[in-house]
Amino acid sequence: MSLLLIGLFSGIAFGFVIQRVGATDPDRMGRAHLMYDPDIPRFMLAAVVLSAIGLFGLQAVGVGRTVILPISLVATTLAAIFFGIGWGICGYCPGTTWAAVGEGRIDAIFALLGGMFGAALFAQLHEMLIPLLYSPTNIGPITVSSWFGSNVGGLLIVVGLFSAVIWLIGKFWHEEQ
Amino acid sequence: MQTKPDRPPEVYWPWQPAAFALAGIIVFIFATFGPPASSSGFISTLKGFLAVIAPEYAAAKQHYQMIPGPGSWLFTFVLGMSIGGFIGGRTFLKPINDIPGLWRERFGSSRVKRYAATFLGGFLILFGSRLAGGCTLGLFISGSTQLALSGIYFGILIFGFAMLTARLMYHRKSQEEN
Repeated sequence: MSLLLIGLFSGIAFGFVIQRVGATDPDRMGRAHLMYDPDIPRFMLAAVVLSAIGLFGLQAVGVGRTVILPISLVATTLAAIFFGIGWGICGYCPGTTWAAVGEGRIDAIFALLGGMFGAALFAQLHEMLIPLLYSPTNIGPITVSSWFGSNVGGLLIVVGLFSAVIWLIGKFWHEEQ
Repeated sequence: MQTKPDRPPEVYWPWQPAAFALAGIIVFIFATFGPPASSSGFISTLKGFLAVIAPEYAAAKQHYQMIPGPGSWLFTFVLGMSIGGFIGGRTFLKPINDIPGLWRERFGSSRVKRYAATFLGGFLILFGSRLAGGCTLGLFISGSTQLALSGIYFGILIFGFAMLTARLMYHRKSQEEN
């Protein structure tokens, strides 16, 4: 029961923050994709940098649970292409859809309904698609740390890479004239 | 009539403190639950409906066996996100549009067109998320936070294809500007 309340509380806080920063606004998301508005991508990447440092601290004191998802060369690539096209079309991702529905956006309700159909169709095809697309090219749950053989090294590489991208976005994303 | 939608950026939180706030929440979630995820919440919700209308079907399908139903963190989290969005929306200065300004400039103010497009977009993002095993949050943000290659790889591709799609979709607008 308490885990359900923790989930509810975490969701409320998460939904509120992404609403306040404008990530639930598909106009802002679209402008981010068109390289006009740098703030949403910088927000997402900076959140990853800070979370990675925070999670590193948690792990140092032995708190928390991690699950590393594997990478499947065919399935992850195909999935990302579907996802990217859908994200570009509607300006919502699965999480922002829920918060945007709460915010009162009618187009988000249709994105949520479409999402329900997409999820249901995948669940129907799971037994066929996972052995066909996912499993044959599943190269396992690789982390940057396992590549470099050091947790601190992995963290520094990810933090450095993401910080560089945040800087580049600030340089190349700008308001249309 | 306005040709450009009004976008007062000052009503939004600046991205740096917002990133600190979100990271605090994400680290809290890792400490109390595990990697945050939101596309799984769709499966949880569907599983709740199927438990009523087609329990044998849900029990027989692997994808519904993998993910718990509505009595789970995954469901209360997405429910909470809607409540958080509701609280945020009710206390926000900027009114919302059912049709984003960017879309209206390019495709007009037909609600049917916009709603059909978001339905299709929603369909694609969830189909893709379930195939990859996670979405922007569950795979890209959670994965990258754990330094997972899958998350970083997925993130690069989804941003790339979304940027390409947005460019193709809003093409006429940029031609008019030139």
